Amino acid sequence: MSNTLLDVQNLTMKFGGLIAIDDLTFSAKKDHITSIIGPNGAGKTTVFNCLTGFYKATAGSMYLNKENNKMDLKKFSDFKVAQKAGVARTFQNIRLFPQMSVLENMMVAQHNKLMVASGFSILGLINSKSYLQKEKEAMEISKYWLDIIGLTNRADDNAGDLPYGDQRKLEIVRAMCIEPHLLCLDEPAAGLNAKESADLNKLLKFIKNDKKTGILLIEHDMSVVMGISDHVVVLNYGKKIFEGTAKETKNSPEVIEAYLGTED
Amino acid sequence: MGKDLIQKSLKDSLFTGIIALALFGPIVGLRTVAKNEVLVVEPKWFVVLLIVAFCAVGRFFINIYTYKKEKRRGESSSLGKAISNFLDEKGAQIAIAAIAFSIIFPFMPFADRYWMDIAIMMMTYIMLGWGLNIVIGLAGLLDLGYVAFYAVGAYSYALFAIHFGWSFWICLPIAGLFAGMFGILLGFPVLRLRGDYLAIVTLAFGEMIRILLLNWYELTKGPDGLTGIPRPSFFGLPFKRYPDEGVETFHTFFGLEYDPMQRIIFLYYLILILALITNAFTIKIRRLPVGRAWEALREDEIACKSLGVNPRNTKLTAFAVGAMFGGFAGSFFATRQAFISPESFTFIESAIIVAIVVLGGMGSQTGVVLSTIFLIGLIEVFRDFESYRMVAFGGAMVLIMVFRPRGILAKRKPTITMGKHG
Ligand SMILES: Nc1ncnc2c1ncn2[C@@H]1O[C@H](COP(=O)(O)OP(=O)(O)OP(=O)(O)O)[C@@H](O)[C@H]1O
Ligand SMILES: [Mg+2]
Repeated sequence: MSNTLLDVQNLTMKFGGLIAIDDLTFSAKKDHITSIIGPNGAGKTTVFNCLTGFYKATAGSMYLNKENNKMDLKKFSDFKVAQKAGVARTFQNIRLFPQMSVLENMMVAQHNKLMVASGFSILGLINSKSYLQKEKEAMEISKYWLDIIGLTNRADDNAGDLPYGDQRKLEIVRAMCIEPHLLCLDEPAAGLNAKESADLNKLLKFIKNDKKTGILLIEHDMSVVMGISDHVVVLNYGKKIFEGTAKETKNSPEVIEAYLGTED
Repeated sequence: MGKDLIQKSLKDSLFTGIIALALFGPIVGLRTVAKNEVLVVEPKWFVVLLIVAFCAVGRFFINIYTYKKEKRRGESSSLGKAISNFLDEKGAQIAIAAIAFSIIFPFMPFADRYWMDIAIMMMTYIMLGWGLNIVIGLAGLLDLGYVAFYAVGAYSYALFAIHFGWSFWICLPIAGLFAGMFGILLGFPVLRLRGDYLAIVTLAFGEMIRILLLNWYELTKGPDGLTGIPRPSFFGLPFKRYPDEGVETFHTFFGLEYDPMQRIIFLYYLILILALITNAFTIKIRRLPVGRAWEALREDEIACKSLGVNPRNTKLTAFAVGAMFGGFAGSFFATRQAFISPESFTFIESAIIVAIVVLGGMGSQTGVVLSTIFLIGLIEVFRDFESYRMVAFGGAMVLIMVFRPRGILAKRKPTITMGKHG
């Protein structure tokens, strides 16, 4: 099991009387795209919020294997999950910095290393060579990703002015700028047309194969899920009702009944 | 379509009239006068009628010409856009011209004592505006207690200068440091607050500092204020007509006639330099990671956290840096006045500085200058009509918000562009 990237055991999240996640156990592998699917209100986003420290889980454990270093995600609060553990995420409702340029969005994502490079602003204020060099490198990383999603020519436009599909893609590559070990995507294909959806599949496969970044994916669009998932976890009312490969999931009677519906 | 617009606007202006009547009826309409040693109510319905008619008609025209016009609300008017585009294109040249003008200003033929005093006051507000712009404009933290840092700067400067006799250039950084520490002190409890709640707590903080200054008599002399704050000297050369025995003064050193304007001109250049330093610092730090993080925090705090940006440190640095510049400005105020008391640091000062920043266009450095000239100029023009000053001030703010809802200069320039590094 050295290949396991994320190991979630008996995760439970209660909001007052409501049990949003009920004793959930699953794991995600390094070279996998692991999808979490389920009907509305099943608790998918809540799983992300627990993983990324936005909510404090009521019970259970979450471990991340980072280069054979087992990290307890419960120990980190919100921004430290991204900073220390290298877990990046996107949001169901896109959260860009709309009044800042596309490039600035990418630079903010590299904040922590640039902050150190700028000597916590001291070296930056005196225009030190070493900082300018680091800034340039950060620009190149930004350009690299923008080239991949084809947004380089809009780098200086406000992120909020981009078309919806581009905003989704930008949010994903912005998350990649923190060089995460695990990338959590909350419904990235929502609102995309067929071509954009296909582009997204390509981007996610590239991230998985070439960047060696594990992906946790929440998705409603079954064509995306079936096309790229290596592993699927199905939630219903906070409980895991099925786990398996995409094909197994598609044919599972429980999943069909609870979520997919019969095809006729 | 046009008929519909007029109908809607009429209806709306009718409502405005009713609200105006409800407000001004009791406030303006019913006046108590003493007649034969008894108070009687003397109605002034005609004045009320005039005011109500003014509000209703004004609202009607605003409706027709700006609000209900077929365009997105909040879009700027064409005149404003033209001005903003012009300032954008010629920004660098205008800035240089403005700085050049500021430098030769004291030698203009019309620059007498009165004009110099106004110029110094405006420059102080511009500096405060630039300092607060870091907190409000960049970091998006609505701070209504900024005057507290101005006060802390002024009092720490005064106390160090009076009790230790240290010179301006030593006391200035100390005062800035103290103000910055108070910035962090305010920052900690409000870390989790946003928007209205943040505004309320910062407002209370500003009042707390003022009340503290008022009551800590042993240190601050309370309402009596601190007197005898040393005047600044020109690198050790005092501006005095009759110096102490054996002390060389500014005018004897340079072989000039004594003229009280020399000190005023020196003060003018002092605040000009301080303000320009504030400006240069802000422009520079906006392009550094911490500056970008401030703006990102203003845009979306949750997204910041998801990218590993530490919101606590980011907010605290914004409060501290903004407060530090407030403290510098406070030191200048103390040395210029030679006398300070808590009366100079009331909420209205905070309100004016916030108005300067907001009306200038959140985050715009040039906007701060324009709105200072406009607002402080207006207050000055109305100096002789004491009771109408605030009315004019309020009216001006309403006008700007009607025609430029996002401030005079709303356009933001990216801090880094692809072109720059190739
Ligand atoms: N902060 C919260 N406070 C109270 N209840 C919450 C909170 N967050 C989520 N919930 C509840 O938890 C349940 C699961 O919500 P969640 O957002 O995780 O669903 P989801 O699977 O992401 O659904 P969708 O497909 O609509 O995004 C819902 O019943 C929701 O109302
Ligand atoms: Mg969800």
